[in-house]
Amino acid sequence: MKKTPLYNTHIESGGRMVEFAGFSMPVQYTSILDEHAAVRNSVGLFDVSHMGEFTVKGESAALYLSKLVPTSMSKLTPGMGMYTLFCSENGGVVDDLFIFMVGENNYYLVVNASTVEKDFEWMKKNIIDGVLIENISDITAKIDVQGPRSLMVMSKLFGKDKIEKLARFRFYFDDFTGSQIMISNSGYTSERGYELFIENSKAESLWEILMLEGAEFGIKAAGLGARDTLRLEACYSLYGHEINDSINPFEAGLGWLINSDAEYIGKTALSDIIKKGPAFEQFCLELSGKGVLHEGYKVFYKGNEAGMLTSGVYSPTFRKGLALIRAKRGVLSIGDTVEVMIRDKGVEGKIVNKPFYKYNG
Amino acid sequence: MTKDKGMKAPGDLLYTVDHEWIRISDEKYGICGITDHAQHSLGDIVFVEFVANIVHTTVAQREPVVIVESPKAASDVYSPMKGVVTTVNRDVEDAPELINKDPYGEGWLFKLEITDMKGIDNLLKPAEYLKLIKEGN
Repeated sequence: MKKTPLYNTHIESGGRMVEFAGFSMPVQYTSILDEHAAVRNSVGLFDVSHMGEFTVKGESAALYLSKLVPTSMSKLTPGMGMYTLFCSENGGVVDDLFIFMVGENNYYLVVNASTVEKDFEWMKKNIIDGVLIENISDITAKIDVQGPRSLMVMSKLFGKDKIEKLARFRFYFDDFTGSQIMISNSGYTSERGYELFIENSKAESLWEILMLEGAEFGIKAAGLGARDTLRLEACYSLYGHEINDSINPFEAGLGWLINSDAEYIGKTALSDIIKKGPAFEQFCLELSGKGVLHEGYKVFYKGNEAGMLTSGVYSPTFRKGLALIRAKRGVLSIGDTVEVMIRDKGVEGKIVNKPFYKYNG
Repeated sequence: MTKDKGMKAPGDLLYTVDHEWIRISDEKYGICGITDHAQHSLGDIVFVEFVANIVHTTVAQREPVVIVESPKAASDVYSPMKGVVTTVNRDVEDAPELINKDPYGEGWLFKLEITDMKGIDNLLKPAEYLKLIKEGN
């Protein structure tokens, strides 16, 4: 099993290690509920070095990326990042990713850990002249500092002026003990937060200083368990659950990403889906009764099967079961009362507005 | 695996290989719950559901009585002995965290009237149970 450069730190901190995307990762240190609360109320620290990073450089870099993603890149300027997808010819999602524009001919991509090889193969298969791509995942560490007090911690370490003026989805390069660090105001928690990218050899010292300087702000190491409950409250998709190769973006509530005028892969299929309407749609479900929700549970409306949970959690913020559901289009509406089958027992739930937790930056 | 140092197993209880405990009194009555090791392994317990109509029902040794769930895992809790379930702890339904905080006290789960004492041979003494969890189940 692969290890991130922070593996020993996790073991020493009492991290409970589990396998995720071929890596040994901490699912929690002390408690998912406490780690979740730290991110919502103060600040949490995540090791997400298992995620993938690619560089895309060359005179045709922008043209190349505009072929790969269905989202318009016209608003992207140097120092800015955007969320988007790779789609296949049939409109299914190859992966969801972030594109950071470093310069005119220089882009930095961040992809899911479970899809690093698949994505890089996809990019190689569709390569054009004038572009050089490199997979730097194995030499790059990624640490997320997330929560309302992340501003204080980051200001203390890198300077108030630089951090305060860094708007959401903006990034810059700074120096950390002689190494280049990329700092982005973004994250996967729906709180103000920063994503830090640095070479592996500096991951431990960066983590240590963040824990040390963050102590006065109540910083806590947080594992993948809290990362999942936080992202679900925000209704962010997780690849392999809400989206995959056979689910198109419209079915997962990601239609807002399909707006490019360029000739990108999947355009014909996606245009066709717009015309016909997708077969499924996504809804948010809040459990009224008691229980813990999990992926795969079936949802019934007026006695008929209407959909299925793509992700479910016990929400530490709202103290109830929350889920994203994939429903046949046109069956459910906001406000409907439904039944979720939990171990052969129907438990009442309600279809509610998206998201459960609004961005709190 | 996480270290099991400091996991408690009080001397007056008996234990199962499935990480339940039972305190037997008068060779007839038992009060049962899950061990400190079990609550720690599960993490934050957020949901407790007793088997429907379990009170006044006879359960066999190792028959499920209640399900406890954390955000990441669900676990059946089995009866350590054969007997009639006389009471269940309704407090833990509203405050499942009691099981994390006090697994051998306020976090108890159910009471039994034991109908077959032979099953006691399948239970572990505290030292044997501590050895079991030390060796990693």
